[in-house]
Amino acid sequence: MGMRQRRALSWAAALSASALLLTACAGDPRGGQEDTVLIGVSLPLTGDFSEPGKGVQRGYEAWVEAVNANGGLLGRRVELLILDDQSAADRVVQDYEALIALHEVDLVFGPFSTRLVIPSARVAEEYGMLFVEPAGAANEVFEQGFENLFYAAPAVANDHYNNLADHILSLPEGERPQTVAVASMDDPFAQATAYGLRDRLAEGGLEIVVDEEYPPNTTDFSSIAAKINASDADMVIGGTQYQDAVNIIVQLQQLDYQPQLAAFSTAPTNPEFTAAIGSRTEGILAPTGYTPDATYPSNVEFVELYQEMFGTLPSEDEANAYTTGQVVAAAVEAVGCAEQGECQERLVDWLGENEVETIVGPLSWDDRGRPEGAHLIQQFVDGEVRIVLPEETREADFVFPKPEW
Amino acid sequence: MPNASDTETVRAPGARPAAAGSARAGRGGFLLPPWARWAGLALGAALVLLFPELSPNAYVLSAGVIVASYACTATAWSFMGGFTGYVSLGHAAFFGLGAYGTGILIRDLDLQPFLAWLLSGLIVLVITVPIGIAALRVRGASFVIVSISFVLILLLVFQAWEGFTGGANGLNVPRPFADLYRPDHHRIFYYLFVALLAAMLVSWWAIDRSRFGAGLKAIREDEDKAEALGVPTRDYKLAAYLVSATFTALAGGMYALWFGDLDPIFQFSILLGAYMVLMALLGGARHLFGPLVGAVVVGSALEYFKLEFGDTQLHLVATALLLGVVVLFMPDGVIPAATALLRRLGPQASSIREITAEELLARNRAASGGSADPADPLPTEGAGDSDPAGPGNQRKEG
Amino acid sequence: MDGTLLFQSLVLGVLLGGLYAILAAGLTLYFGVMRVVMIAHSAFVILAAYLAWFFHQETGLDPLFSMVLTVPLFFGIGVLMQRLLITRLRPATLTMMSVLLTFAIALLIEGLLGLFWSGTQRRIQLSYSGANFEFFGARVAVVKLIAFGLAVVALALLFLLMKKTRFGQALRATIQHKEAAQLVGIKTDRVAGIGFGIGLATAAVGGTALSLDATIYPSLHWSWIGPLMAIIVVGGLGSIPGTAIAALVLGIGQSLLQVELGTTWAQTLFYVALFATLMLRPQGFFGGRLAQRF
Repeated sequence: MGMRQRRALSWAAALSASALLLTACAGDPRGGQEDTVLIGVSLPLTGDFSEPGKGVQRGYEAWVEAVNANGGLLGRRVELLILDDQSAADRVVQDYEALIALHEVDLVFGPFSTRLVIPSARVAEEYGMLFVEPAGAANEVFEQGFENLFYAAPAVANDHYNNLADHILSLPEGERPQTVAVASMDDPFAQATAYGLRDRLAEGGLEIVVDEEYPPNTTDFSSIAAKINASDADMVIGGTQYQDAVNIIVQLQQLDYQPQLAAFSTAPTNPEFTAAIGSRTEGILAPTGYTPDATYPSNVEFVELYQEMFGTLPSEDEANAYTTGQVVAAAVEAVGCAEQGECQERLVDWLGENEVETIVGPLSWDDRGRPEGAHLIQQFVDGEVRIVLPEETREADFVFPKPEW
Repeated sequence: MPNASDTETVRAPGARPAAAGSARAGRGGFLLPPWARWAGLALGAALVLLFPELSPNAYVLSAGVIVASYACTATAWSFMGGFTGYVSLGHAAFFGLGAYGTGILIRDLDLQPFLAWLLSGLIVLVITVPIGIAALRVRGASFVIVSISFVLILLLVFQAWEGFTGGANGLNVPRPFADLYRPDHHRIFYYLFVALLAAMLVSWWAIDRSRFGAGLKAIREDEDKAEALGVPTRDYKLAAYLVSATFTALAGGMYALWFGDLDPIFQFSILLGAYMVLMALLGGARHLFGPLVGAVVVGSALEYFKLEFGDTQLHLVATALLLGVVVLFMPDGVIPAATALLRRLGPQASSIREITAEELLARNRAASGGSADPADPLPTEGAGDSDPAGPGNQRKEG
Repeated sequence: MDGTLLFQSLVLGVLLGGLYAILAAGLTLYFGVMRVVMIAHSAFVILAAYLAWFFHQETGLDPLFSMVLTVPLFFGIGVLMQRLLITRLRPATLTMMSVLLTFAIALLIEGLLGLFWSGTQRRIQLSYSGANFEFFGARVAVVKLIAFGLAVVALALLFLLMKKTRFGQALRATIQHKEAAQLVGIKTDRVAGIGFGIGLATAAVGGTALSLDATIYPSLHWSWIGPLMAIIVVGGLGSIPGTAIAALVLGIGQSLLQVELGTTWAQTLFYVALFATLMLRPQGFFGGRLAQRF
């Protein structure tokens, strides 16, 4: 054996020993704080999903504030431990591993984005933890056979536009839009929303004239916009996250394309949306699981508290996070425990059989954790976001055809 | 340009005559006797093997699995980057191919998971032949660009080809041991990764002292001269590339079996490829244990940065600074840097680390000035690293 | 595909190509003078876009005016980067190590952007962001035209600088044959430093142009670096006119292919062109003889 190797060996041995110690010492497991309930979350605070990730964080923080103001959970103070997963799947898994095994949290909440929910739900499942999540609405999430997973929003992605589809199809043939252009990001959630609506409309006899798909890292949307414009479709559907929706809308405006209906998922519910597009949002539709104006008692409290904390109205991401907190809290109070182990099973069983009152209304789930409600449809009316569908909860009339943008 | 290696080149000529006589003694002065080195190796191996027993919780154990997988990828990378000096920033491509290959073979052919894993490595080996022939037509910057592009194009393809790869919905790879508790699952995969790593290290060690390895190092030092001297550069580079890609793919396949969920944007990520390079360089890409050391340091550092600055972008900044420091101040890695430091602190001893032609020339000139002492075997020994006779020299001398 | 859409796509392709050209020009310049593959170039582009956004946010002035500050700033950073960092690398491993060093700088910029301005996706809200006019049946967006104009002006200035000034001659001499340039008395180190600064100054111009019509976020630079590198290889590493032509050709190609094949496959055009170039003509299609050796 060469000397170089030998020297390398001694170094390798020394270094691995010290690194081992470093890993072992990093982050002390919390010791004996029996008077708190520690809740672990991993969120994409940096990277591609950081925009909605931060919204979810604010929602969780507001919920903790509210719970502690009311005496905590089971009389114990609630503490939140948030780790950043950098919008990456291997990190999110390590985060939940650290939260559950190292920090020994009592409960976990879900992260953001379908792509991150599936791997992290698997960790929670294998540790037997209850996993209520605010943001994994695509079909794939519910097809993995997870038993501990519950989605804390009114409807799964495919059903987000159901109210809009019902409404359009209820119009007399002559008044309906006839042609539809679809552009969707290659992302499970974005596609599920757009394709849910597309398929319903196609079944109803509308013609799909453009059906585009683009990868998440697309920077140039002008060609997609040109194609939609050239088709002169009566309606445009965007299966979008955030920046893609903003870019597509601006590109369409640059081409002077004026559809009768324009529906985009996610982005229009984001407070940054108007800051980016300005006043030219008139008539844009989006599905939303939440409206700050909802009259459910807990929502009134939530909106007030949220405005106090952050100075703005909460949007959907914040609301979903808050709802997640409410769902878990309901289970914990009902079952009377909040710790790892057998308690988690009882929490899961309880949620499987009960309905929970939340800021988005009463929620209940099927055996795969799918919520059994429908989303609201919001529209920009006179520069304000208004709920226009369904009829019974509307705050303004559905504007059709939409005014020029 | 005051970096570690340069100072040494400057110092060596002046220092040599005085130190030549004591070189032997000096070396013995700070290196341990053979039994101690074996003990060190045994201790290191024992630490690695006992790690699962020592880890206080499942999180540390899972971090250990990640570090072990990093060590595998970094070592696999260094078969190309270390031996030939071709920096590939795109080895994530092979990692992803290996991972997806394993997953798809299990899904479509219902193969036994580890059979699928081996077969997937073999498939990547075959795929790499044309890719390698194409990529190795160019050198330097163009090679780097090609390697990055390769990852980006695979990302697009795997994202778009939904029917085959699962596209953006991801691909779920079923666990090979379905009924295990998660910590036990980590433990088994820790040992599997360590076994894979051991296989790589043995191969590295064998290549290092073969004629093939000497040829590769000659390519690294000066490809044109090596070619002129009759080294079949193209075939050698291709062979090294194949070995490197296949081992990376095997690491990727193992990762797929462990992790379970594959997603194109996470498997075909430039950052993943960059981590491999960072780890290999940090430890010392030319050293048997360099990439391993680098993986342990970087892997632990990444986990530590996350736990410490978890909710800010500081972890990116920290990674960036680490990479910058390595490139600027110790491009040969910590092992040579630390050895050089020890040497400077201890009695003057000679280096048998690998050197460039210029350094060698300077050293030879200096040595011929002071080689009145016939016992000093240094010049030949220095050359020995790119010379098949080298290992023999070294062995005799230890 | 009908004629209007074809023509519209062509117009969009030309505008896009102009943007690609200004974004890639710096990248090819660094390579020419220093044999450095500057991975951080697109990160600097995004940084400039952020500075334009911040400038607009703070002063309310048009983001184009931010170039008064960012162009000299970036020039200075470029010179310093070359003098203080790149020259520290060993010549023998310069090309490889510079990739890693600039990769680290890219990560650093991304991290700092996130630290200062968070990961929130930003867009400059311009009164004329949707403004457009008709051009033989196609629609041309004002912001895209401004960006294109910026690119043309900047590239023309760069071209004049290279062709007509003494410094340009020295720079070209350095690109063509460093040792020979030294022999005739050119201080190649200084020239290289300034060349690096000019390259980075183009990133400031390109970033400002980009900021007019893009939503920006810290990790955006990863989406740009691949296409830009493909462009400089196809154009012949080190050749600015070659890069400009390649950028236009690939921009138009992408725009037209998108109509038929969809966005995903149109994006692969860049990499197909890259691999084809290296297979058939490693020195690039439009000039330069450097690629083969480096």
